Amino acid sequence: MDRLDSMLLELKDTSEFMVDLAYSSLLYNNRDIAEEVINMEVKMDELGDEIQKSLLDMAQKNPESVMKAFVAFRLQIAIEDIANAAASIADVVLRGYASSPVIHMSIKESEWTIERATVSETSVLRDKTLGDMRLWSHCGMFVMAIKRGAQYIFRPDKWTALREGDVLIAVGPEESADYFIALADGSRKEF
Amino acid sequence: MNDDEHSDSNRMEATVRELLTEMKDASETIVDLAYASLMYNSKDMAEKVEEMDRDIDDMKFAIRTKILMAVRTKEDAREMTGVLQVASAADRISEAAGEIVKLLHVPKEERPFINEIINESDEKIMMTRISPKSDMAGNTIDQLAVEASTGTKIIAMKNRYGWIYNPDGDVKLRAGDDIIVNGSLDGFSRLKKFASGDLPWEFPETEFAED
Repeated sequence: MDRLDSMLLELKDTSEFMVDLAYSSLLYNNRDIAEEVINMEVKMDELGDEIQKSLLDMAQKNPESVMKAFVAFRLQIAIEDIANAAASIADVVLRGYASSPVIHMSIKESEWTIERATVSETSVLRDKTLGDMRLWSHCGMFVMAIKRGAQYIFRPDKWTALREGDVLIAVGPEESADYFIALADGSRKEF
Repeated sequence: MNDDEHSDSNRMEATVRELLTEMKDASETIVDLAYASLMYNSKDMAEKVEEMDRDIDDMKFAIRTKILMAVRTKEDAREMTGVLQVASAADRISEAAGEIVKLLHVPKEERPFINEIINESDEKIMMTRISPKSDMAGNTIDQLAVEASTGTKIIAMKNRYGWIYNPDGDVKLRAGDDIIVNGSLDGFSRLKKFASGDLPWEFPETEFAED
């Protein structure tokens, strides 16, 4: 896969995750998660610009690639539209317009929550894989994504190792939220 | 507010909630289906995307009308502003899906990179067949709670009558049916074991199903 295709892949993956996160931020009325969606939107715009420049460059150098450039342009625009729509959902949360009971729909009844927590230097999660930690069986929290520096790891698997400074985005039962955050910030040392 | 008005506003809330839930679910599935139509080069799937896009558009107008008719107070207006914004966003997502399926007009040979991208995505689109040995055979999608149990969602299926796109929860799976799902590779490997009959299906607790 060349650089252009990798950028398109990242664009597609990010847009789908933004929609997931945007609806989650709305259902749980969670500003932290809504902010993540907006952060991703900023990254998507930059990536979109870079893709468009590469496509123009490619078409100019190689006239045979004009059709690919055309298709990729159309795809990129559609994906950006999806990302924009996701950001506009997150905006509802950030502006404080997500309080309507209608918005919480059915999912709120299950008393689930979405949480953001940072792995500290002293956390028991540090340098462990998600498989080792088995957070899900311990407290029902399921890690949807990890933010590492400017990069996101979407849908991490059991082999994904956690590092200091990783921001974990997890969903699970409300009563497990404090426990999960304490494991990440290092104030709780055992399960 | 008298009793009549109160029940009116409850009814409005219920209808708006139903519409919004449906729009949210449809806006998530329609994008998966749009990519699947490119991957399988399927005009039928693309037509289903266009149909869903029109339905979502209708729902957006319906939700606007319901809300505008029912809003009485400043507080109502504030709450419903958020709802309207979400409905518009769901509609924009479905329009983008409509744009994605238009790429089907470009000959398949001109867009091989799209399939590569879809195959490399975090969210995969994959197909499997229900074996006669599988516990899944004879149960509806809702009874199995396929998405909750495997993290994969059935976006299309082929049974003896033909293809069904975005099947409803009350559709029954039978031996020999092909299902196209969207989800993680982990989830798909699990689903494949259930579909082949290698693993017995873990039915959700009935108390949850009754709720």
